[in-house]
Amino acid sequence: MAQLPRREFLKAGTAALAGMTLSALGLGSITGAAEGSSPEKQVFVYTCPVCGEQFPDFEQLRLHFSGMHRELEIPKTVCLTINSVEYDVFVEDHWTLREALIRAVGLTGNAKQMCDRGGCGSCTVLIDGKPALSCTTLAVECEGKQIETSEGIAADPTYRPLLEAYVRNDTAQCGYCTPAQFTVAKYILNKYDLNPTEDQIRLELSGNICRCGTYARHVKAIMEAAEEMRGGK
Amino acid sequence: MRPFKHIQASSLEEAASLASREGVMVIAGGTDLLGTLKDECLPWYPNYIVDLKTIPGLDEIREEDGALVIGTLVRLQDIADSELVRTHAQALAEACGRAASPTIRNMGTIGGNICQMHRCWYFRCPDNRFVCARKGGRECYAYKGDNRYHSIFGIQGGCLAASSHDSAPALVALGATVVTTAREIPAEEFFMANGCKSHVLEDGELVKEIRVPKTAASRFEKFALRKSIDFPLVNCAVAEDADGRVRIVLGACYPSPKRMTEAEEAVRGGIDEKSAQAAGDAAVANVMVLSRNEYKVEIARTLVKRTLLRLVSE
Repeated sequence: MAQLPRREFLKAGTAALAGMTLSALGLGSITGAAEGSSPEKQVFVYTCPVCGEQFPDFEQLRLHFSGMHRELEIPKTVCLTINSVEYDVFVEDHWTLREALIRAVGLTGNAKQMCDRGGCGSCTVLIDGKPALSCTTLAVECEGKQIETSEGIAADPTYRPLLEAYVRNDTAQCGYCTPAQFTVAKYILNKYDLNPTEDQIRLELSGNICRCGTYARHVKAIMEAAEEMRGGK
Repeated sequence: MRPFKHIQASSLEEAASLASREGVMVIAGGTDLLGTLKDECLPWYPNYIVDLKTIPGLDEIREEDGALVIGTLVRLQDIADSELVRTHAQALAEACGRAASPTIRNMGTIGGNICQMHRCWYFRCPDNRFVCARKGGRECYAYKGDNRYHSIFGIQGGCLAASSHDSAPALVALGATVVTTAREIPAEEFFMANGCKSHVLEDGELVKEIRVPKTAASRFEKFALRKSIDFPLVNCAVAEDADGRVRIVLGACYPSPKRMTEAEEAVRGGIDEKSAQAAGDAAVANVMVLSRNEYKVEIARTLVKRTLLRLVSE
């Protein structure tokens, strides 16, 4: 095997790391997608919870359910607006938004389960533009509200500089808390009109706990992204 | 969580009549309730949850007859940011701004904050493993067990848990009134423990709004192990009322926020370094420490002094 010079090896290592960071963010599939592709074109399959048959839209599933499973009560459906796309999902009254996002919608990238008690911030999503803990929000209470997750923010070209700053600064070490911090980062950029101070960033991110201790990198990444986005305006 | 049915209330009267029934609990922000339901730490589990967030008109702060009226659904962060509250009830704004984390402050409501259940690891132990005095048992397990975060002023209603609300001492110091669907309760009487609850509300009685008299000078200080997402070890609120009398209230030291009348006497002649120190000493003169919480006495003494000095220096 031809040996790489040490310098070349380090370069290759950095590139691999950057790639890993992207996938660790849970954003890999989306960052790879062509920008500008309309989010309405997402293929979403509706699966019958009883027999497992699949349907392209909700109305057909409802028809199937009321025809084939007449003896069963039709489960409650809630219309959740996630990343500007409306999803009709089956949820139960006691499901939290985190459970609905993962089980019913299939967005596993953002709402991570860690403490599940509102103590760590790893499941933070934006509800009506404000950070909220999806583990202590009931899914049925989110009907009619705008829910944003890290997948949607990362796919938005406006926030590309933020995503790139996050990768450049290696904010994801193990990456488990990073998507939640990323959604709060978007909130910070909006709230302070792309001009946050370091103290404001630390204050707003103080609800998110990171066991790897990447706190300083988030501050740096958000400051860099804010500067770049101000310049782009 | 185990299943329950979810009902969205359209008016406070409807919610109150639903809440008076067996097996019904109400939810506003949900930051306290959903945690207890996941842990199943209470002797009962609800069949129905009534959502109060759908009731209109309860999420605003307004001025009325020289007092601030804060609706029960106002978020803690909105109170902390409100110019009206920061001018006329600074202690409350500071208290709400220090509670939990920014994310929880965006979700939690003031009504839920004052009605939250006590934080004691025996009371809140998952799967209701300790049937403590609060749940109708015979014993307070904190007395012989690990009591490092518990009361330093003795027992109330058989319980040693420390009140963990940040807003409570501020409301008591400001002389606020809690308006419920049935009556008006002064904040000083509101926080008396009542079974598993940390307040005196009956079943089916809900907080409607909180009336806070305008107070020119008031301050709040909190001591916790972490700056964010932490309950207080000790917190303290002071407020000067219209007659120039200073009220000093310590929180997280007793099952309810405790007014320090001896300390108030010590600063009757004005607040300076010496009288503030005397007030701190007077506040902790009658402590009854447990096996592991003696350290809280020093924190309480210092916090009373520090809050009083902030009242005159800022």
